[in-house]
Amino acid sequence: MDIGQAFTFSALGSQFLVGLSRAMILFIVSAGMSFVLGVLRVPNIAHGSLYMIGAFSAFSLAKLFGGGSGGFWLALILAPFVVAIVALVAERSLFCHLYEREHLMLLLFTFALMLILGDLVKMFWGADYRSIMAPEALQGSVSIMGSPFPRYNLFLLIIGPWVGVGLWFFSNKTKIGKIARAAAVDREMVGAIGINVSWVFAFAFVLGCFLAGLGGALVSPMVSVSIGMDHDIIMEAFLIVTIGGLGNMWGALVGSLIFGLTQAYGVLFWPQFAIVFPYIAVVIVLTWRPRGMLKSVW
Amino acid sequence: MFKGTFSLKSLILLGAIFFVLLILPSIIPRFYTYILAVIFVTALVAMSLNMVVGHGGLFQFHHGAFYGVGAYTVALMLTKTSLPIWVCFVAGPIMAALVGLLIGAFCVRLTRLYFGMLQISLGSLIWAIAFRWYSLTGGDDGMHGIPIPSIISSSKGAYYFALIILAICIMVIYLIFKSPFGATLQAIRDNPDRCEAIGVNVKRHQLIAIVIATFFAGIAGVLFVVVEGSVFPDLLFWVFSLEIFIMCLLGGWFTFAGPILGAVIMVSLRTFVGIYTEYWTLILGIILILLIFFLPEGVWGYVLEKFGSRHKEAIEKGSK
Amino acid sequence: MLRVEKIHKSFDDFKAVNGANLTVEKGKLVAVIGPNGAGKTTLFNLITGQLKADQGKVIFNEEDISSLPPYKICKRGIARSFQIANIFPRLTVFRNVQVSVLSQQEKSRKLFYPAKKLAVEETNSILESVGLSDRAGNTAGSLAHGDQRALEIAIALGNKPELLILDEPTAGMSPEETTATIELIKRLADSRELTILFCEHDMEVVFNAAQSIMVLHQGLTIIQGEPDQVRNSSQVQECYLGGAEPC
Repeated sequence: MDIGQAFTFSALGSQFLVGLSRAMILFIVSAGMSFVLGVLRVPNIAHGSLYMIGAFSAFSLAKLFGGGSGGFWLALILAPFVVAIVALVAERSLFCHLYEREHLMLLLFTFALMLILGDLVKMFWGADYRSIMAPEALQGSVSIMGSPFPRYNLFLLIIGPWVGVGLWFFSNKTKIGKIARAAAVDREMVGAIGINVSWVFAFAFVLGCFLAGLGGALVSPMVSVSIGMDHDIIMEAFLIVTIGGLGNMWGALVGSLIFGLTQAYGVLFWPQFAIVFPYIAVVIVLTWRPRGMLKSVW
Repeated sequence: MFKGTFSLKSLILLGAIFFVLLILPSIIPRFYTYILAVIFVTALVAMSLNMVVGHGGLFQFHHGAFYGVGAYTVALMLTKTSLPIWVCFVAGPIMAALVGLLIGAFCVRLTRLYFGMLQISLGSLIWAIAFRWYSLTGGDDGMHGIPIPSIISSSKGAYYFALIILAICIMVIYLIFKSPFGATLQAIRDNPDRCEAIGVNVKRHQLIAIVIATFFAGIAGVLFVVVEGSVFPDLLFWVFSLEIFIMCLLGGWFTFAGPILGAVIMVSLRTFVGIYTEYWTLILGIILILLIFFLPEGVWGYVLEKFGSRHKEAIEKGSK
Repeated sequence: MLRVEKIHKSFDDFKAVNGANLTVEKGKLVAVIGPNGAGKTTLFNLITGQLKADQGKVIFNEEDISSLPPYKICKRGIARSFQIANIFPRLTVFRNVQVSVLSQQEKSRKLFYPAKKLAVEETNSILESVGLSDRAGNTAGSLAHGDQRALEIAIALGNKPELLILDEPTAGMSPEETTATIELIKRLADSRELTILFCEHDMEVVFNAAQSIMVLHQGLTIIQGEPDQVRNSSQVQECYLGGAEPC
């Protein structure tokens, strides 16, 4: 696409929406990571692996339920729960014994988990690329501002904010959400008033991973589901959380928008180096605000 | 300068090991010579990382970036320019140290987790550029067939080159470890605030340590190119950096020689496990978990503790 | 030698130090007393640079050091020990003190010389003066609490300071240990020509040792003067008998 075409209003507008819809997936995944980071104070390196398991589970579940539209919706709903169960097993059997140790050990554990889950996915599903069909209602595209825009992306633009609202409601309005937020700021205090901090952590970890799985399930019709998905997304989520402010959900939103939009416009202006644009944006943000744009939870 | 730094017993032991390493290539198959050379290179990277992590307390999560910069610099210079070999070789570590200075200056303003995350961000930027700049760096495929002078490009030649450079570097790193700089660095690791209170400019000290460590990482990068004759963007990818981290942990990061042991174990395991199964990553993950739970001081750290306490007991018994 | 003028420090809404003043004359043993939470440690942190004051000044040897970072303040001649043992746990006792001496000798960044040959005499003499010579080879983290406090002071001494600031040097000690520590402090003041500023909330200790006492209450200086002055001051008596009332 030459520069003349790139600058048409229609192309810019359409890329804006593409970037936005990509940002929605990034937001769902990094909000989950940010939540875990906020409560446990550890970045979950295995977050990408759980995203990948979400995508693969969605694939298998959709096949299980016949492969059609109904199958897709069921898969979308159930896949995150599969991921949540995997997360719960990992957490209760191993992770929880490390809560008393220094944070570096927790971080290394999540790295070990990433390595293990990555190979388990390879074992279970094999190294081939998989693909899922979006349900009929969401296939094809609509014409927006003169450019074709995939219906599925529109769907993401609608779902994304709802997940955000749901997470916000959950952290601020429910009892357990508030306890989790309190534990993020002062875990000793929470323990001192009689709440089992270990279960709070378990809950936060599982919820964060649930979101990762949801992100993976949502993205499955859009990309080829394969091993290696974990490496790509975890780096992006990591950076988003860093520029957004550690543990801050709104920060995750801001970071995701920056990432999604810079990448979408990067594709328009310099396709070969499109992936570099978000990194440059990260460097700029971190030079200006080394601790992230919004306040970190601690 | 050297007198009193090494005890006679340890000098003899080291001499013996060195002698054995010198004659090995003549008696073992070529494949093992190659593996040992890879171990030497990896050991150097691990030692350079441990300088800032184990002895400096910094969360240097993307050390591989500097290793990769060293490797790519020398590879690019050897293939694209006709500058003399030694210039290219020296440019590698210098470039790595420059990048180390730049990134380090950025990161050292922050502490702990923020330091680590910022470094991963900056390192990933370098990776992304190398990965996508196909015309310059060969992108995903990397660069192959890099012209190395024939004396050191053969299996034995590379082995000896790597061994000698490694030996020199270890000696230098040891001297630094035992110097006031090293002592102060370890004090910073233990308690940076207290160091500020005793008049140490902590940030400047850490930055110098980073520059030194990245210089050695750059040397390791040069060795990699000599041993492998190629270069890949994987070196710059964060997963590899975390693997080096694990090596230091595995060996024992509060010890001096721990990372070497870690490198030996990791490379050997990866090579030999790889023969039987394609699930090396799974095994690595399990090893890491076992380490975290049972051997946080690392293998060598555990050994030292065991022998250290027995030594103390013996002294106490003897003095009664 | 040291003057703190009308210094203020707030943490969000909490006013920790509210216009405190302090004067330390060369060669004297000065104490700051006040109940827990009066702001003593905060005041010390303001002097040695760990915290920046919102208002007010810290002047040392006629130089305004209010905005200097801790390591520069240390180089000017102020050394400090901390209330909670702030040592280097993985290093040996000898190394703990040596690192401090090396810093004072500007040798911290020396790269190619074995550290164990440097500053040996000074380090050993400091260890002797605090009574830790026989434990020089032990790992600092394994020392008993009282020894760690002694090591605290030893590390500060390594800086060859003009002014030594000790934050609650007898915290958590038994009466015998307290007396011993105060004796040690007095000995150090004499033998090394040190000016010493320390804080305490045990008044007996202070009245026996200090030559000038500043009373701090809720971040404000009530009075500073000689022990008798302070003991007889009605303001002080009111403060301590009246409880939490601001004076």
